[in-house]
Amino acid sequence: MAVAVGGASGSGRRKSLDAELNLVSFIDLLSMCICFLLMTAVWIEVGSLQVKQSHGTEGPAAVSQSHEVDLAVSSATSLELTIKKGGRAIQKQQLKAGSIEELSHQLSDALAAFVSSPAGKSGPVSAAMITSSASVSYGDLIRVMDALRRNQVVNLGVVPASRDSALAGVNGGGAK
Amino acid sequence: MSLNSQFLGNRTFSRHLVSRQYQQKKRKKMIIAGLMLTSMVDMFSLLVIFLLQNFSASPELAVVAKGVKLPVSSTSREIKDAPVLSISEAGIYLDQKFVGLTEELLEQPSPLMEKLQGLRETWQKSHPNQNFPGEISVQADQAISSAVVSRVMGMLPSQAFGSIQLAVVGGGRG
Repeated sequence: MAVAVGGASGSGRRKSLDAELNLVSFIDLLSMCICFLLMTAVWIEVGSLQVKQSHGTEGPAAVSQSHEVDLAVSSATSLELTIKKGGRAIQKQQLKAGSIEELSHQLSDALAAFVSSPAGKSGPVSAAMITSSASVSYGDLIRVMDALRRNQVVNLGVVPASRDSALAGVNGGGAK
Repeated sequence: MSLNSQFLGNRTFSRHLVSRQYQQKKRKKMIIAGLMLTSMVDMFSLLVIFLLQNFSASPELAVVAKGVKLPVSSTSREIKDAPVLSISEAGIYLDQKFVGLTEELLEQPSPLMEKLQGLRETWQKSHPNQNFPGEISVQADQAISSAVVSRVMGMLPSQAFGSIQLAVVGGGRG
């Protein structure tokens, strides 16, 4: 690679004015840059699920037209789904499956069926409160939240467990 | 010897060696010229630009505490800058600093409450005319009981941390 600094003109002795760039050191520098960036790059994509734990901040008039979901996850294979409107339960369903994957699919199907039903068309399902027992692992709880978010239920809350239930969870109370 | 001098003449072999060496050098030069350094430098420059663009602007958010394996989620969003509370079976950490054993903090949460209060007060001192956003990022091991996580999450609103981000591994990857 050469850079022409000026042209040799006139009738005098022609002298090359091309300045040579030192490519070897340039390549060395670029290689080091690539190595540094590859080594310091973050390959695991860490995301987040938003959960609102505060209560009583939403205006009741805005909530009244929409449906709320209460989920009681008793184990990784069973949960109780309650759909409420204005604080009154309008649908209750017990879901059971062989694994958490199947259970989350069943939950998705149940929510999709409700949304397409005449009762579901009167207002969107806006919020969900999840209660989980000590035997349910945190990973399984996230899968249940995923199923809700896939069905446009984005305002999620988790009911705090009792102290005894939490202590049972620490002492190997059945979580995976 | 006489045969050599008769048929090959003086210094013919040395000339042959010199010409062979010259040809080898010539061949080597051709190989070097075939590398095309300009396009190689172009490629390297493009790689550097690509890696710089993908470089995370906030790498501290991606630091996952030791002993914590985050759960996988397919509906995750981009994580925001907030204090990080890590929950594992061994203990609870706030911004990479050990707060206490999980079991002890579940029974007596006052050390965690004091640390959270300190964080809130520091933020309020540095942002005097702004409302406290109450955002906190929770990293918990996927195998830990959900009751432990929900119990700790239930403690956070008492210190005005009501907007909780549950850290997950995005994109449905393990």
